[in-house]
Amino acid sequence: MLSEQRSGDLENRRFAGMLNKVPEVTLAFWIIKIMSTTVGETGADYLAVHIGLGTLLTDAVMLAALVASLLLQLRARQYVPWRYWLTVVLVSVVGTQITDFLTDGLDVSLYISTIVFGIALVATFAIWFHREQTLSIHSIVTPRREFFYWAAVLFTFALGTAAGDLATEGLQLGFQLGVVIFGTLIAVTALAYFYGADAVLTFWIAYVLTRPLGASLGDLLSQARAYGGVGLGTIVTSAAFLTIIVVLVAWLSVEGSRQRLPAAAAAKD
Amino acid sequence: MKSLRTAWTAGAVAALTLVGPGLNTGRPTLYFVIPAAAASTLGDLSPFRLIVVDAAALVDRGDLAGAKARIKDLETSWDEAEPSLKPRSPREWHVVDRAIDRAFATLRASEPDSTACKQSLGDLLTAMDGAHGST
Repeated sequence: MLSEQRSGDLENRRFAGMLNKVPEVTLAFWIIKIMSTTVGETGADYLAVHIGLGTLLTDAVMLAALVASLLLQLRARQYVPWRYWLTVVLVSVVGTQITDFLTDGLDVSLYISTIVFGIALVATFAIWFHREQTLSIHSIVTPRREFFYWAAVLFTFALGTAAGDLATEGLQLGFQLGVVIFGTLIAVTALAYFYGADAVLTFWIAYVLTRPLGASLGDLLSQARAYGGVGLGTIVTSAAFLTIIVVLVAWLSVEGSRQRLPAAAAAKD
Repeated sequence: MKSLRTAWTAGAVAALTLVGPGLNTGRPTLYFVIPAAAASTLGDLSPFRLIVVDAAALVDRGDLAGAKARIKDLETSWDEAEPSLKPRSPREWHVVDRAIDRAFATLRASEPDSTACKQSLGDLLTAMDGAHGST
């Protein structure tokens, strides 16, 4: 017990120079999060089907890309928007691919994968809280906390995919109703937060829900008019979402460095 | 625990949102959006059917390579339409999807067999026609 505390202190001292590695939760955060969900999914689809890499090769390529991006993200001393969001997009893809592999490749029932990933997510939080005594996303300042954070993010994507697919197969939920229902659930969660519900709980519930919302939104925009969609097609929708993400991330980067400059100048005095 | 109470309140609000609008008609709201099983069908599959008919004609003429190229159009268009078609009838969607996979397997074999290709494409048409218009 004592040695664990001491090594924890050591770890914290060694990384005392590390700032919070994840972004503050703003409207921009949620917009980028929802859009990166869609882009991640359509990007992987495009590689597998249109470019013809096939599922297994695409899975391998995306996993390799995620590992590389995660290394870059973990090595940074502070939140660097493009590293963080690139990692989110890739976790989105890989999380989706894991669920798809279980469903299509191993014929695992969506009921089972939804339950299993739900349990995995709760277990991640339980272990995280047991080790760190806090689940606050405003103090992801050690590698260990950040590891828990990304494990949770991965499970939210896998769970969001499984739950969303289950709603499609089990409830025959189409994308029009999907946008309404998942949007409403997120709105209710936000309302709960503003009326005092636990910040950590509402954040992660909303985070899980953005996966099926992002998928339904992407479908609503890309599917043909004959099917009730806007008819933009996958490529235009993905390009548009990607552009918005890049613009918002660039804006966040500029804002971030602008905020840091006065702080650094003040620190020098 | 305050957060638990809030979670329950949020859940109640969500439930009311889903159930409420249907209260005066005596039916839950979801009733209106989940199609009755008897009416489930994949709808108009003619664009996909057309590709299969083309591919079958190519196989009949002995152009297996042409049929393989043509069936690729089915792969992309079927995958793209999945979010629209599957919710209409997941069970029937899977039946057609499996038939499509079997057709691909015969056409993409290293040494495609004309009879097997013809059979799988015929089965695929049957599956599509079975899904469409069933009551």
